[in-house]
Formats: sequence, structure tokens, C-alpha cells
Amino acid sequence: MKKSYYLFNPGRLSRQNNTLKFVPIDEEGKEGQARYLPVESIKELYVFGSLDANSALYNFLGQQGIVVHFFNYYEYYTGSFMPRDYLLAGKVQIAQTKTYLSANKRLALARRLIEGATHNMLKNLRYYVGRGAPLQNPITQIEALWQSTATAPDIETLMGIEGNIRQTYYECFEHIVSDFAFEKRSKRPPENELNTLISFGNMLCYTLCLRQIFHTQLNPTISFLHEPGMRRYSLALDLAEVFKPLLVDRTIFSMLNKKILQASDFRTELRGCTLRPAAAKKFVTHWEERLQTTIQHRTLKRKVSYEHLVRLECYKLIKHVLEIQDYKPFKAWW
Amino acid sequence: MYVILVYDVEQKRTAKMLKLCRRYLHWIQNSVFEGEITEAKLQELIHRARRLIDPETDSLIIFTSRHERWLDKQIIGKEKSSTDNFL
Repeated sequence: MKKSYYLFNPGRLSRQNNTLKFVPIDEEGKEGQARYLPVESIKELYVFGSLDANSALYNFLGQQGIVVHFFNYYEYYTGSFMPRDYLLAGKVQIAQTKTYLSANKRLALARRLIEGATHNMLKNLRYYVGRGAPLQNPITQIEALWQSTATAPDIETLMGIEGNIRQTYYECFEHIVSDFAFEKRSKRPPENELNTLISFGNMLCYTLCLRQIFHTQLNPTISFLHEPGMRRYSLALDLAEVFKPLLVDRTIFSMLNKKILQASDFRTELRGCTLRPAAAKKFVTHWEERLQTTIQHRTLKRKVSYEHLVRLECYKLIKHVLEIQDYKPFKAWW
Repeated sequence: MYVILVYDVEQKRTAKMLKLCRRYLHWIQNSVFEGEITEAKLQELIHRARRLIDPETDSLIIFTSRHERWLDKQIIGKEKSSTDNFL
């Protein structure tokens, strides 16, 4: 299994002897002990600290097919270095575009994506109803909202309903985790602890989807639910919708309820709230563990990791656009 | 699978061996490496190592384990290099 590497410390990454060498640099500019990363076992790199690198390194990473994701000081996703596309398939690309261009086809697919997302959200809520959280009302609300997507005439309406579903869902968080208030969803910057975790987790989920798409023939800029805008890989956003409840939200619940993350792990500043570096590390460790968790897949009849579920979802989308098999969204059954 | 690799090669070949192993595994001590690796990648590494060493004098020993969890690791004294994925 290839591993993701997370670079939190500032330093210099370089190519040496056909592998990667990382030299940490401390505040006084002194170099620490070098670590060599086995290039053959790197899945991708996440860069949180400031990184020195040169084009020779990026050429090498490109050759090896390693994606690099960058985050700024506040741990916002800023962008990715993607190697040259290596799985090119004009046929898939044309089919994908055709599906997007046909209003009916696009609407149907977008609705399917929301179906997956809603199902997974309800799954989370129902689990906590079983544990005594007062969530019956929001569940009924979300179900009613989901029903109303059947008659949505266009994507904008659909997106609006999706927004309402998610808002109702997020408001339940307060009842699921103890000690933290949700108030309202706030972004750029998130204003309280829960919002910070949601943003941080969603960002990790987004990069995960992006990497999985990169390893398939799909074009990450042509999306169905989100409007394919400029400057972003919106197909990754579509996919992330389906997986956020399973991957991100469950990580948040378990980390807060087990008190692995506490109020002292956050830093509330004049504008917004951020995770302390040690807390970000903790979150990422749990996130990695979750991705490697395996389940027995019902149709494949073998064990697959949560991470691989995302890849399977991409394959389903390809089959859908090529009209081989209708897309059925991933629905958590446990 | 999870492997521990140790080598004992003639001095003039150690540098080459080190460079090769660094591409696949984590260096933990002089001439000792460990890490998660796939079957195919391990074969690739062995193949490359074979071309490097002199079978008369050098040796390469690989301990394999199905998973890291079946391995108890104790470090006495200084840990020269860690193998985790947070830097």
C-alpha cells in the first residue's frame, strides 16, 4: 500500500539518487536531519508548512505520477500540482461532456448524487437517534426536502434543496457532539470549532476525490451537480458530496466524542478559528486510519477500503456516461 | 506486506545498495531498512539488488510479515530515523 505523506514542518524537498530527500529547516534557518522518502511508496504529498523545491523535483514527481496538494498558513486548500494526465480517453471525455450538455441527463445524474449524499447523512443521524439524540424532527425535514427534489425543474433548484438539506443536517451536529456549539455554518474563515473541523475535513475529502479522479479517465473539471466553473476541479466537489458524511463527519464525531480533540486544540483569533498544528496532525492521523478501514463489498464480494470506494464511484460514473450501466450512488449500509 | 531488509555488502558497493533501498523503504539504521511494500515492488527491488551484488561475498536478507501489526518493535537508545508519514 502506498502512503500519503504530510509535510507540516518547513523545509526543503529535493530529488536525490532517484528518491526524495526532505531537510527540515527550523526558525533560525538551521537545517535538521535529512529524511529520505521512499519514492516508490508515495501516494501523494500534502504540504502544510512552507516548502522549498525546484523544478527538477517537480519533473521527477510528474514522472512518478505523484500529486502534491498545497495548503496555506490557515490550512486552506490553495491548489495542487498534478502530473500530466496519463489516462487519456477521448471517448470518455466526449461522453462526459455530452452528459453535461443534455439538461435531462445532467439533472438526473445530479439528483442521483444528492440521493447518495442524503442517504449517507440520514444514516449518520439515525445512528445517533439510536443513541438518544433528539434528531427525529430534522430527519423528517430532510426526508421531505429529499422528496421535493423529484420535481426540481433545474440544477439551481436542486442545488438550493441540497443546501437546505445540508443546513438542516449541520444543525444536528450540536446534539451529536457534546461541549461544542454549532450556531451556523461559517466559512472563510470558519468562526467556531465545529465549523473549523468541517472545513478542514471537507478539504481533505475534496483532495481525496481529486486524486481518485486523477487515476481514472474522467475529466475533473466537468461536473454535474456543481456548475463547472473556472479555476476549480468541480467534479471532485460532486463526488465529495457523497462521501463527506461517511468520511469527514464520522471522523469529527468520533474525535470529539472520544475527547481526542478538545477546546484547547483550537485557536480562536480576531477573525475565525483555526486548528493548532498538533491538532491538525491528530485529525489527519485519524483521517488516514479511516481511509484504510475496510468493509466487505456487497457486489464485489471482497474487502475494499473506504478510500477505494471513491475510486469505485468514479468507475460507476464512467459507466454511466458511456451508457453501459446506470449510476447508482454509493449508500452506506452500516 | 511489511518487510525488514538488512544487507551486508562489500564496502565499495554499500553506497549503491543504500541508494537503491532508499527508493523503496525507510532507512532506520546503517544497512537496515523497513517499510510497507507490495509484492511486485519487492520483486523489483530484489531484481535490482541482484544485479548489484556479488553473490560470492555479499548478502541481502529480507524478513517479511503480513502486516505491520504483527511486528513488535523496540528501540533501545536513540531512534536514528522514524518511519512515519508526518514530517
